[in-house]
Amino acid sequence: MRNSLSKFITQAAVEDPKVRVLSGDHGYALFDEVRRARPAQFMNVGVAEQAMVGIAAGMCRTGLKPIVYGLAAFVPIRVLEQIKLDVCRSSLPVIFLGDGAGLVYSTLGASHQCAEDVACLRPLPAISIYAPADAFELDTVFRAARASAGPSYIRLGKSDRPAVHAVRPSTTDSLLIHDVASDTCIISMGSMTAVAKQMATDLKICAASVFQIKPTTPSLKKILSRFRVVLVLEEHSRYGGLFSTITELTADEAIRPRVRSLSLGEHFSERCGSYQHALSEHGIADAQLPGRVKELLGGASS
Amino acid sequence: MKPDFRPNRLRRHVLDMAFFGQSVHVPCAFSLVEIVSALYAEHLKYDPKDPAASTRDRLVLSKGHGVMALYAAFRELGWIEQRDIERYFHDDSRLFGLSEADVPGLEVTSGSLGHGLPIATGMALGFKQQNQSQRVYCIVGDGELNEGTMWESILIAAHHKLSNLTIIVDANGFQAMGRIEDILGLEPLADKFKSFGFDAFECDGHDLARLNQGFELLKKSTRPQVIIARTIKGRGVSFMENDNVWHYTRLTKESHAQALAELGT
Repeated sequence: MRNSLSKFITQAAVEDPKVRVLSGDHGYALFDEVRRARPAQFMNVGVAEQAMVGIAAGMCRTGLKPIVYGLAAFVPIRVLEQIKLDVCRSSLPVIFLGDGAGLVYSTLGASHQCAEDVACLRPLPAISIYAPADAFELDTVFRAARASAGPSYIRLGKSDRPAVHAVRPSTTDSLLIHDVASDTCIISMGSMTAVAKQMATDLKICAASVFQIKPTTPSLKKILSRFRVVLVLEEHSRYGGLFSTITELTADEAIRPRVRSLSLGEHFSERCGSYQHALSEHGIADAQLPGRVKELLGGASS
Repeated sequence: MKPDFRPNRLRRHVLDMAFFGQSVHVPCAFSLVEIVSALYAEHLKYDPKDPAASTRDRLVLSKGHGVMALYAAFRELGWIEQRDIERYFHDDSRLFGLSEADVPGLEVTSGSLGHGLPIATGMALGFKQQNQSQRVYCIVGDGELNEGTMWESILIAAHHKLSNLTIIVDANGFQAMGRIEDILGLEPLADKFKSFGFDAFECDGHDLARLNQGFELLKKSTRPQVIIARTIKGRGVSFMENDNVWHYTRLTKESHAQALAELGT
């Protein structure tokens, strides 16, 4: 997915001379391609994420189209107020890329991990939020963000998971990616969708991918209406992420599924280790998931 | 009617707004009245009939608390009406007590400090990269210079040699809870800017001739510039001058009348 990200960023810069790619001194090799193709359209602002967002807003007000890159721990978390006031307040078409979201930086600890980016952005007016699972979904959301008249946030997590699609989805609508005769569906976003799809195949349940988180898409309601039990899998806090999005929607729409959460718990990483180790502290490592799912399904059917 | 940007005329609008709206923040608007007067009368390029004209120079009010001084200029330009002044802070009125970007003439949402200068820096970069000739003026508070984003922007503006960016520090010597020198000292401020790569001009911020001289001089600069305008918080009304309690005090009928009388006509 990382190579695709580099390709889409470069493509945007080449296609549109008004595109500007801004980084706060992060993303070392990611920008090699755009710097080769369009050096004048790339700017390393320096280690100054907050000023970077204000600068992007100012550039946007002169007609440029900024794409602002950072680690999710910094963009949007460190710069949340700048996103709110400088960008969302005037609904400026700035694209934010939050890389390394979730527990990707498992060995680096709390400063670089990010379980709360979607939750922090969802209440802000105007901004669209995406969490693609693979390069195909990224392609679709990147196009949507570029076409948008308002701000967008693209959450980028663990990028070496297998692809879940064979072709680019035509819209950012939520999609059933594994559809069998079952009253149970595992719904996931971003980095967890590949493992969700694998598990659904193994357990003969359905799987759906939600890659536009906000605003929710019409198809999500339709998907939720079909199932008796929905398991939400996300590499994000259960507060304010996909689980919240779905439970809010089921409450608003008075639709029926029993919704269970497989999210990050309310604690920081406790011990250092691999990505899977970091997930395991929250009970959602690949090896733990089948057992967790069976446990939740047992509870849900009783 | 031709706009009249004489400072005390602007101050009268501010007093009226503050009285009708029962708003605070009069002294921090008074300290920057001459700066606003000089800019609108002499230096800003703008279309009096169209505050949104894309060719306009940008005036970014980073210290959003001084917004009434800009409203006063907008009143003279006809961008806001007498009704807006008389209905300030009334239910369903359009002008807030801090800068909001969607008011024609105001460029940014500020009041949370440290936001305007980064945006102004981005505007200056944007114009420069697109070979457009608009200048960007940014009024900042001296208290606001406590914020880290200000110094991030100052570094960035200097590095990119943004000669189309002029910062004006409304150096009234006060921040919300007291004197700058007691809370977080800034001096020597001009030297700080110079060491970051700015051209600096320091003057009495209530002396129009000196302000005009500074603006003219700095237009020729090849680097970003700062005018350090030494001002008096509450300037023009004796009982408000240098008394921080007026940052938080509402006008009564009596104090409004007394203040107007001091300003003359």
